[in-house]
Amino acid sequence: MNLATYARRNLFRRRGRTILTIIAVTVAVLIFCAIRTFIVAWNAGADEAAADRIATRHKVSITMQLPRHYIDELREVPGIQAATWANWFGAKDPKERVPFFAGLAVDHNTWFDVQQDMKVSADVLAAWKQTPNGAILGDVLARALEVQVGSRLVITSDIYPGDWEFKVVGIYTPVRKTVDRNTLLFRWDYLNNDPRAVYSKEHLGWMVSRIAGSADSAALSRRIDAKFESRDDQTMTMSERAFALSFLGGFSAVLSAFQWVSLGILVIMTLILANTIAMSVRERTHEYGVLRAIGFPPGHIFGFIVGESLLVSLAGGLVGAVIVELLINHALGPFMQDNMAGVFQHFFTPGWVVAVAVGAAAVLGVVAGLIPAVLASRLKVTDALRRLD
Amino acid sequence: MVPFQYNARSLFVRKVTTLATALGIALVVFVFAAALMLGEGVNRALKTAGRPDTVVILRKGSDAELTSAIANEYLGLFRGPAQVAQAGGVIGEIIVVVTAEHADGSGVSNVLVRGTPPGGLAFRPEIKITSGRAPRPGTNEVIVGTAISGRFKGLFPGQSIDLRRNRPLQVVGEFSADGSSYESEVWGDLDYVRNALGREAVVSSARVRLNTPSDFDAYRQLIEGDKRYSMKAMREPDFYEKQSQATGGFLKGLGLTVAILFSIAAMIGAAITMNGAVAHRTREIGTLRALGFSRASILTSFLIEAIVLAVIGGVVGSTLVLLLSLVSFPVMNFQTFSEIVIRFHATPAVFVKALVFSGVMGLIGGLVPAIRASRVSPVEAMRG
Repeated sequence: MNLATYARRNLFRRRGRTILTIIAVTVAVLIFCAIRTFIVAWNAGADEAAADRIATRHKVSITMQLPRHYIDELREVPGIQAATWANWFGAKDPKERVPFFAGLAVDHNTWFDVQQDMKVSADVLAAWKQTPNGAILGDVLARALEVQVGSRLVITSDIYPGDWEFKVVGIYTPVRKTVDRNTLLFRWDYLNNDPRAVYSKEHLGWMVSRIAGSADSAALSRRIDAKFESRDDQTMTMSERAFALSFLGGFSAVLSAFQWVSLGILVIMTLILANTIAMSVRERTHEYGVLRAIGFPPGHIFGFIVGESLLVSLAGGLVGAVIVELLINHALGPFMQDNMAGVFQHFFTPGWVVAVAVGAAAVLGVVAGLIPAVLASRLKVTDALRRLD
Repeated sequence: MVPFQYNARSLFVRKVTTLATALGIALVVFVFAAALMLGEGVNRALKTAGRPDTVVILRKGSDAELTSAIANEYLGLFRGPAQVAQAGGVIGEIIVVVTAEHADGSGVSNVLVRGTPPGGLAFRPEIKITSGRAPRPGTNEVIVGTAISGRFKGLFPGQSIDLRRNRPLQVVGEFSADGSSYESEVWGDLDYVRNALGREAVVSSARVRLNTPSDFDAYRQLIEGDKRYSMKAMREPDFYEKQSQATGGFLKGLGLTVAILFSIAAMIGAAITMNGAVAHRTREIGTLRALGFSRASILTSFLIEAIVLAVIGGVVGSTLVLLLSLVSFPVMNFQTFSEIVIRFHATPAVFVKALVFSGVMGLIGGLVPAIRASRVSPVEAMRG
């Protein structure tokens, strides 16, 4: 019998307790990963926003619109390669099959030139230009609204009264996983020509520009805003990421609270681990005395205890990682993508989150074993042997 | 029954283990109680501003004041029916969100500006001017809610914020509104705000004061039944309920999900501790059985010990959580697109629920170990 065998046998001497502790670590790793995945998923849209695009909106309010001729003036700014615009339609599904989706009235001539992460075929684009009430949808939204290419689609709006009828001319393909597949695009001129849009006639919601990869986007943004500075409608230009964040920004406090909460579960895990190890050490104090008496140095005792703690936490961490992979990345993630894309487009745990979780479990395993290990290794042989329980 | 002292002493003898477990449970109860306090805070911030004798009218199809628009001339028609109270009557208001910079430089956010007619303040008796004075009608003066006052550049008495180029809103005072979401708003003059936006002919929403709350159904039929209007009438409390559904449900759901996940970990922790206690005391349990204590009393004794252990944690956790009452944080309201401030709010019910929750965790975590204890055979246990 060598030292490794002793450690292994020790581990399963109280099988129920070891298994429960491993489960506790597993649960903690699972919760940590779930919370972190939530944070990552929440920020996904903003984090992956294209770096070569900037958005220009009304300075005073996101609900105020810009005069139509601003787009022509924007295109004159040196450094702008292409520019397009969109109006928020406040789209709602009258049958309430989809709780929330983006409905945008966009310029059909330039939209896909700028938004290159959404792709449509040349045929679809040609059909769209022929069809004033043509609409292009993301595949997830199309499935939820039960429409195909050629279908009639009736949508209502939070902003514009009555029913709005469209003809589906195509489905766009996202080029990245994080691109929203839950968006409805229809022609801005169709909205603009409708008498119900009288308050936004000849007005743009916001403008999006594609800039040269080498361009200094901050300087370019300032140049754009300076151009409109003396007008009645001033602008605010920012990176697409900042634009996306200005919608989500109101939740930054909630997200930072979640980051703290995810650390809280690690603290609980450490407490449980430390408790288990302390209990085991107390039970075996007598044995450690025997080991010391027959000549094992204190370092060995220390190594046994910390090693055992590390082993338990690592086992729990790895089981947790496997469950995260199966449960979130292979069950929950795909399910959300197909059925709840309006809530989370991309609910998958990145590898680094799993790595951090398992790493934290290992480190905290060592930490949890530290105090009992130091106490046990410092114990005098005679005292340890005297201890009976 | 095994005397309770036995359990108390057992817990005390194993101080470290008891403490570690109780601390773990305290943390979980902290999270659970925080979720409940958040729920209370959300309820207060989003809902309490409603009165049953007040009707909110929006354009049909709009769920929020922000997206609704009602032509001016309708306001007179809303005032017509006999159910409308003489005092207060009808007010039409305009709602707009403006971009404001956080005073601490942490970026921009949206603030809701409400343009209200001269009777708008009197229409809501819960509004109290806490500093400065009320804005004069027809001017660019505004008052700012206490929850956001000072949080944004320009939104503090004596400062100003641009509603449009050369159209500043001058802050002349602060107001409170019983903790409701009004306290996260800026209130100014209806006509000044409308003119600045170029929307002279419309209001966003109308509020109608009825003679009695029971007049609502008749009044709603008159308004919604009239095809000229295409309007939607709701009782004010129902309107706020609907407003808060998305954001409130989201926040409360998140909080509770986390608390429940955490409690799983804590229950495992309690189970480990109690299991250890049982394994440790096999001989004692055998002795107790030999002395004549029944299986049921052993079971009860260990369950009580587990519950006491958990409730110790519960008391610590739910006491510490009271500190959160001092914390408030901003969150975006999905319906209005603007920032509201939510404060953790403690009530006696939160405290009681947290203690019950900790007791239940102890009960579930202690069940299996207690059953094991009750099955100890006295003869074998005492043999060692």
